[in-house]
Amino acid sequence: MRSILISDPSLRDGNHAVQHSLTVKQVAAYCDAVDAAGVPIVEVGHGNGIGASSLQLGESSATDGDLLKTAREHLPHSKLGVHMIPGFATIEKDLKPAIEAGVDVVRVAAHCTEADITERHIGYAREKGRTVYGVLMMSHMASKEMLAEEAQKMESYGAEGFIFMDSSGHYLPEDVTERVKTLRSALSVPVGFHAHNNLGMAIANSVAAADAGAEMLDGTARGFGAGAGNAQLEVLIAVLERLGYKTGIDLYKVLDAADLAEKELMKVVPTISSVSVVSGLSGVFSGFLKPVVRAAQQFKVDPRDIFFELGRRKIVAGQEDIIIEVASDLSKKLTGAR
Amino acid sequence: MEIQVAAVPGKPSFDKLRVAILGSGNIGTDLLIKVLRSEYLQCGAFVGRNLSSPGMAKAMSLGVTVSSESISYIEKHPGCCELVFDATSASDHRQHAPILERMGKIAIDLTPAQVGRMCVPSVNMRDCLEASNVNMITCGGQASLPIAHALQLSQAEIDYIEVVSSIASRSAGPATRRNLDEYIHTTEKGIKAFSGSHRAKAILNLNPAQPCINMQTTILAKVENPNIPGLQEALKKVLEMVQAYVPGYQVIVGPLIENGRIVTMVRVSGLGDYLPSYAGNLDIINCAAIATAEEFARNLRRPVQSV
Amino acid sequence: MSLQAIRDVRADCQTALAGQDSELAPLMGDTILVTGGTGFVGTWLAETLACLNDDFGFKLKVALLSRSVDRFKVVYPHLGNRPDFRLIRADVRNIYDLPSETNWLVHAASTPDSRFHSTNPVETMTVIADGTVAVIRGLDRCSNFKKFLQISSGLVNGAQPLNLERMPEVFAGSSAFGTVSSAYVEAKRFAETYCAAARSQQRLPIVTARPFAFIGPYQSLETPWAINNFIRDALLGNDIRVLGDGQTVRSYMYGSDMAVWLLKILTSGTPGASYNVGNPEGITLERVARLISERFIPNPGVRLHTSESNANQRSILVPDVTLAMKTLRVSITTPLEPAIDKTIRWNRACSGLPKTAE
Repeated sequence: MRSILISDPSLRDGNHAVQHSLTVKQVAAYCDAVDAAGVPIVEVGHGNGIGASSLQLGESSATDGDLLKTAREHLPHSKLGVHMIPGFATIEKDLKPAIEAGVDVVRVAAHCTEADITERHIGYAREKGRTVYGVLMMSHMASKEMLAEEAQKMESYGAEGFIFMDSSGHYLPEDVTERVKTLRSALSVPVGFHAHNNLGMAIANSVAAADAGAEMLDGTARGFGAGAGNAQLEVLIAVLERLGYKTGIDLYKVLDAADLAEKELMKVVPTISSVSVVSGLSGVFSGFLKPVVRAAQQFKVDPRDIFFELGRRKIVAGQEDIIIEVASDLSKKLTGAR
Repeated sequence: MEIQVAAVPGKPSFDKLRVAILGSGNIGTDLLIKVLRSEYLQCGAFVGRNLSSPGMAKAMSLGVTVSSESISYIEKHPGCCELVFDATSASDHRQHAPILERMGKIAIDLTPAQVGRMCVPSVNMRDCLEASNVNMITCGGQASLPIAHALQLSQAEIDYIEVVSSIASRSAGPATRRNLDEYIHTTEKGIKAFSGSHRAKAILNLNPAQPCINMQTTILAKVENPNIPGLQEALKKVLEMVQAYVPGYQVIVGPLIENGRIVTMVRVSGLGDYLPSYAGNLDIINCAAIATAEEFARNLRRPVQSV
Repeated sequence: MSLQAIRDVRADCQTALAGQDSELAPLMGDTILVTGGTGFVGTWLAETLACLNDDFGFKLKVALLSRSVDRFKVVYPHLGNRPDFRLIRADVRNIYDLPSETNWLVHAASTPDSRFHSTNPVETMTVIADGTVAVIRGLDRCSNFKKFLQISSGLVNGAQPLNLERMPEVFAGSSAFGTVSSAYVEAKRFAETYCAAARSQQRLPIVTARPFAFIGPYQSLETPWAINNFIRDALLGNDIRVLGDGQTVRSYMYGSDMAVWLLKILTSGTPGASYNVGNPEGITLERVARLISERFIPNPGVRLHTSESNANQRSILVPDVTLAMKTLRVSITTPLEPAIDKTIRWNRACSGLPKTAE
């Protein structure tokens, strides 16, 4: 029976769904629950990782420092993880304090074609004795061969595992299968997958990843995450159990944690909204959902038009400012047409 | 090794300020073309390490004195210049700076070494004339700080400014990629210094889309009781000044209030002298360096002694 | 070149382009630069691009870069003097600047002529290695650049095993190195790897084509490829001499198909991918010789040089082109027999004139 290492980024990706408003109290409550369930890694922070609180990406209600300190206190068994993106976060301002706060796992992330900006950050976390994984986001924007090349860069910098993210919820299971296979043959470190559910494929894609040889999967309580949400953790655990994979997680307790999360963390349980379907189809970052809907209202344009235009322009995660430009352009065109 | 090529005929070499360019990469070569076009500057030496680099070939084809001896050429030929553009690397500039200081040469530093005084020509060029080492901050800084300064001029108090730049992935070389943290720290330092904002944040995105995107920078500000008409007024003046040395600098969105923040977005398309036009991020820092050197030249204007 | 020969070539281009023009639309109005622009590959690309402009309204601007543009203008004025074409005289190794308006680039500079490789292995290697480095560096200043097509070689995977019917793109073979005879292939392998490095580090969209063997106008019958020599023997009224027992297997693609395949790879190929380009139908040299012989009256004889050691001299070189055919929807519009007819006709029409620009 093969083991799958589960990471739970509910307290990180879920922040996208509540405009980065998670509080220390919420973090404490959820950490208690998942620690009891035996979830191996719990990721905490702003939706775009540590150091990403900003007007561009949304300001966090609580500081990274407070969130991490609280999580650390409430995770006696589980490892505490952070996500960090060079270009938003720096070693000096963000990674160093996070490590001092007791972070065990550092996931250094970059857009799928830009792995070479992670060299120093991966190296630093390794030097500090932390577990380091390389992450490539928006991975559907690179061919499987290119994804493997970029992943190899991260491996050469010292990443001990590699996770590719379907940040737009764009993949179908066979896309995931061929990528995992290519990555497995290109890398000597374990491969992981992080799903989004825009096209309703998060669990199916995660299973495809495991069957193709992925050893790490991400899941969030009730799918609490950006856009249409992630692979639903409690469902993922149940499905993996049926398929005969070992996760070491207590099913009843993770179900309890999910119930708690629904009650304590989220205003609404993530669903696949009509706009999310378009976001997945157009291959745009799931985290753009809220700002796109907001800009659509302000500029009185159809959010679906904004998504398709963003997809056409190949906008990457982090370029939230372009949403305003696109919305303003579309609105000018509408006015001009009238 | 030094190669002397006949000077280009018909160019008066008297009251132009003699400059040297250190670093024969794309940045240095682009600077060279801008220097040769300048009414105030002339190139006394184009020095690097590799005579067979394309930049060197370009310089030789333009009749410029080239050398592969880097800083030692300037030490051996002190008369070759009064001002030196340093387009090498931060660590190299830290070595060059004391040498140039000792020789009494003005240094315009295009690396993020942060040795000299931070300069944004549209904001504080006059103040920099008394400095012997002037630092051009970062590309994101050159693009955003004029706007940050306009915010300072027009708003009562600024709590926070954030600068988000997106550049074409192709325009970010290995040094930029390795030094993203330094880029962020230096730009944030610049924002605080040039806007008086209490807090600052810089973000850099690399976008791999092909064909390449132009550099785009968004300035987001949190201000109590924002004064948009006042900002528009201040921006008009600042824009005019920036466009005088970076013609491809334009405001494409705003200033407007969105979600409780002031948003201004600028796009910088380069002149395409030696760098491609999408690399507005590289062009703007070169344009700013040239504008600063020209200001020194106007200030120091006097006949140059023969070497 | 006679008017008839020019018309024939145009008709070939039209046939090869039929149904493909809409998929080549991304090229419309753009500037395309071809290095090695006066060689066999370059000239066929030039003919095809001229056809796209004249018959399909593509409004392309074409730059052909070569050391021998002057000769090209004299020999092929119908291409060399076109207002939409620009000829750039340069050695690829010494390029510092490419026209900054270049949107697409086909890097076809280097000769596949094995006689030249034997006599001048140093230049063979430097043209390929330094030329590729210089051209990629020259692209630094092209602001609106879209894609780079590297013309590699079908030989980079090493010798095709006799029991392998067709050579695929991914093949764990290896070739000899460190010998004079490996100069060409090793340089091509270096160039492909350099392209991969530049694509990864400098984010240049680069795609690779691996051409196999070709036939048609603009290929000198003097080049040391069996099929050309057979046609030359027959045209001169001699017997066709086949070296070896005739059981060596080759395949030949006609020039107009090659050009369209290359343009499809340029516009639609995935950066980082390599595509074989050639005819997937293998044929023994004995059969090739007989096909040619049948086309002459009286039939020239076919002489095989069979000896006991010949069995060891057999070889096979046939591409597997499934990838290109499936993903790029390309096909063979001129199979071997009509290709032989067209080649004989063109060479007859052009007799007395230099066969190629180079």
